Amino acid sequence: MKIRSIAQALAAAGLAALTLTAPVKAADKAPQEIIRGNCLSCHTEKDGHFSRISDQRKTPEGWLMTLARMQIMHGLKLEADDRRALVKYLADTQGLAPSETEGARYALERRLNTMESFESEKFTQMCARCHSGARVMLQRRPASEWEHLVHFHLGQWPTTEYQALARDRDWFELALAEMVPALAKDFPLESDAWTHWKTAAPAKIAGGWTLSGKLPGKGGFTGAMQLKPADAKDEYLLTLEGRYDDGTPLKGAGQVLIYTGYEWRGSLTVDGVAMRQVFALAGDTLSGRMFESENDEVGADVVAARQDSATSHVLGVHPAFIKAGTEANLTIVGTGLKGKPTLPKGVSLVKVVEESSDRMVLRVRADADARGVHPFKVGTAEGGTLALYDKVAAVKVVPDYNIARVGGNGGSTPPVQGRFEAEAWAAGPDGLANTEDDYRIGIMPAVWSVEPFNEVAAEDGDVKFSGVMDAKSGIFSPAGAGPNPERRMTTNNAGNLTVVAELSDGDAKVKGQGQMIVTIQRWNNPPIP
Amino acid sequence: MMKPPRLESRGSIVAAALLTLGTMAAATSAMAATGATLTPGKEYMVVANYPNNLHVLDLAEDKVAKTCELPDAFSPGVIQVAPDRKTAFILNNRFGDIYGIDMDSCAVTFHAAMSQAPNERTKSIFSIALSPDGKELYTIQSPTLLEKDHYRVQPTRLAVYDTAAGMNAKPIRVLPAPRQVTVMQTGKDGALYMAGADIYKVDPKTGERSVAIASRNWDRPLYSPPDVLNAWPLQTHTRDFTILYTAAKFADDKFDMNTAQFLYGYMNVNLETGETETVDFGELTEIYFTGVRSPKDRNLMYGVLNRLAKYDIKEKKLLAAATLDHSYYVVNFNQDGSKVYLAGTWNDVAVYDADSMTKLGNIQLPGGDMSLGTPQIFVR
Repeated sequence: MKIRSIAQALAAAGLAALTLTAPVKAADKAPQEIIRGNCLSCHTEKDGHFSRISDQRKTPEGWLMTLARMQIMHGLKLEADDRRALVKYLADTQGLAPSETEGARYALERRLNTMESFESEKFTQMCARCHSGARVMLQRRPASEWEHLVHFHLGQWPTTEYQALARDRDWFELALAEMVPALAKDFPLESDAWTHWKTAAPAKIAGGWTLSGKLPGKGGFTGAMQLKPADAKDEYLLTLEGRYDDGTPLKGAGQVLIYTGYEWRGSLTVDGVAMRQVFALAGDTLSGRMFESENDEVGADVVAARQDSATSHVLGVHPAFIKAGTEANLTIVGTGLKGKPTLPKGVSLVKVVEESSDRMVLRVRADADARGVHPFKVGTAEGGTLALYDKVAAVKVVPDYNIARVGGNGGSTPPVQGRFEAEAWAAGPDGLANTEDDYRIGIMPAVWSVEPFNEVAAEDGDVKFSGVMDAKSGIFSPAGAGPNPERRMTTNNAGNLTVVAELSDGDAKVKGQGQMIVTIQRWNNPPIP
Repeated sequence: MMKPPRLESRGSIVAAALLTLGTMAAATSAMAATGATLTPGKEYMVVANYPNNLHVLDLAEDKVAKTCELPDAFSPGVIQVAPDRKTAFILNNRFGDIYGIDMDSCAVTFHAAMSQAPNERTKSIFSIALSPDGKELYTIQSPTLLEKDHYRVQPTRLAVYDTAAGMNAKPIRVLPAPRQVTVMQTGKDGALYMAGADIYKVDPKTGERSVAIASRNWDRPLYSPPDVLNAWPLQTHTRDFTILYTAAKFADDKFDMNTAQFLYGYMNVNLETGETETVDFGELTEIYFTGVRSPKDRNLMYGVLNRLAKYDIKEKKLLAAATLDHSYYVVNFNQDGSKVYLAGTWNDVAVYDADSMTKLGNIQLPGGDMSLGTPQIFVR
């Protein structure tokens, strides 16, 4: 099916904005009845077991993709409410245990620039050549179902066995003889983790949560979320209030749906911008990413903890570094903060500026010889660190390899920004930069620019054509999509750029660099890449 | 630990190129007249493009002579011209159907659906060839059974059709065939040569198969296995069935990639004599999607993708390279070898002087992108 017709089919099926946070309507029929009423023209039922369906476990996004594929490619007609109810039911009863998503959550969190690297070259070439390896790692099937998947792949995309890294081997035979057993062993339907998780006590969601986060291009932020139960099971109304480290306030509201007992999917509007939350609950804490719905490269790493938690936590120290010989205000966010802060050696408390159970502002002074990265405790609450340094010895551009995408210009797909941060490092005891004893200080402001990555990029004028780097924020905005008659061979505005961060440390300037590929649109953009 | 994929295999360069082949919409201009019959003795190019055009170009004037309308959906637009030079057979409709078009009348005279049953979905991947007498058409079919709640990939098969079977042609023979086969050509003796893991020689009467040229399984000491991309079954004036490869040649049996040479070469079947060869012709410095030898001088190899390059095969030397207005996928010659024609992707055919490598002009095609199609040059 061509991309355009897929887009049309998505729109026709009402799937254009696949979302996991729309409320699941109070059920007027059992989910099994929805399956019986809609799926049995192809699937079969025997003793409550539905062929294919009952033999797989997936994330909420995984089940959503499956149902959307059934609608787009196999003619399934399903009301939106029924689809939501089915995704919820299947993710709850045939989901993944928290530990089974470890190492692959970047895909759920829409960190689409993650550069995957797997030990198995075979897995990389056979599975992760066309889509993310995470998509595979987030499924559990017995061998018979992995085998069905191989047949589906080659049946649906017959050129799979002709492409590079496939046409050099007996692809189909290898997929069946080697990949199926390997996948069934690594990602089996039955697991102890899932068996145990099914019996775990449900997490407490309603109430107050303190959060700490960091949005590249904008900086750190702290705040609190309040959750109130809504009409349906596992559904909550969310309000968010906080502030960025620069003092700008932050306010939002929306809703949250909990899948599989721990998969937190939020949909909210923050200061007028639609955002989504993909968090994983772990006891009375959570972690994950909150990102713009329309431009999901714009997103923040977030950690949070329940305010009524029996265990107190330090979630973050903002900023998490002080220059030796200077004074600074440190904001500590956490839960159940009480007692004295344990300051590292060489750091003295000047005064307590603000104090509450979830937020503390301390005026502190670092001695001239204060060095190193130290744990930061408040009473018994752990979790923070504080870096002490005398000078910035090196700057790392984070990420050191990034992908931005041209877009817009009358096309259907918006551009994807490149967002960078400058990470300062200290030299460590040996006084030399870029050696093993270096330690991370933290994210600091820098002056940003781009340069041609190599001779070809220079000749082709990539810096001129590919987009604009904002010198202050480290945000790169790519140029428009489509052929550009001004370029050699009328090529598009793709480019290969070196990203340079220049950081000022007193009078000294320290530079770091990374690489950014500016490439074409991501045409195929399912919930799990 | 995540790390950037800085080291790309040579193969994946080709992969990236092949996987990103897009289509480019272009304004449709007024169609050329569809009525004129072709003139015996004149030289033509036949080429298809979006949305449903089959153009016949007059190569004396380098102009579009006529345009026929193709049925159903476009893609891939791989053409074979029948030995009588009247009918163009085209694999189209999303790799699912083969049609015969009478180039004089524009009538569709032949149609074969690759799928043989209602619950079968069958594609042919660039795979179409004609017997030397034009009576039989060959294609490798890749079927999948669409069962109720699952798919089952079926063995690939060589399907043989009678070209006179009309609009609902069914295979007259179905023979076992290896997977991963793409382009094919027939020899003067009727042998069917097909490019897959190796280049096979097949008797299309019996399906009996032997290896004409070892490719994936070649035994060339100090060479890596080749990477081979075959999507364009060109019918050449030299009667060569030519397939390009890239490979690493190692300095010694330590097989160190850092000291290896990366080479371009071709595998060739002489369709007149059946003679085969595997020859390196230059260093791998850029990718070519197709390469053909000059009808004037079989020692000259021309390749194209982002440049038009000319190599001296014996000297293994790049003689000249012309910059292009945009990428082209397919290179071929007029009969006397004086002009090079570049086609594939976009909607213009570029014409170059074969000796000086200077551009002579562009033939604009009404309609859109030629995509992955294979044009053919022939004398009526």
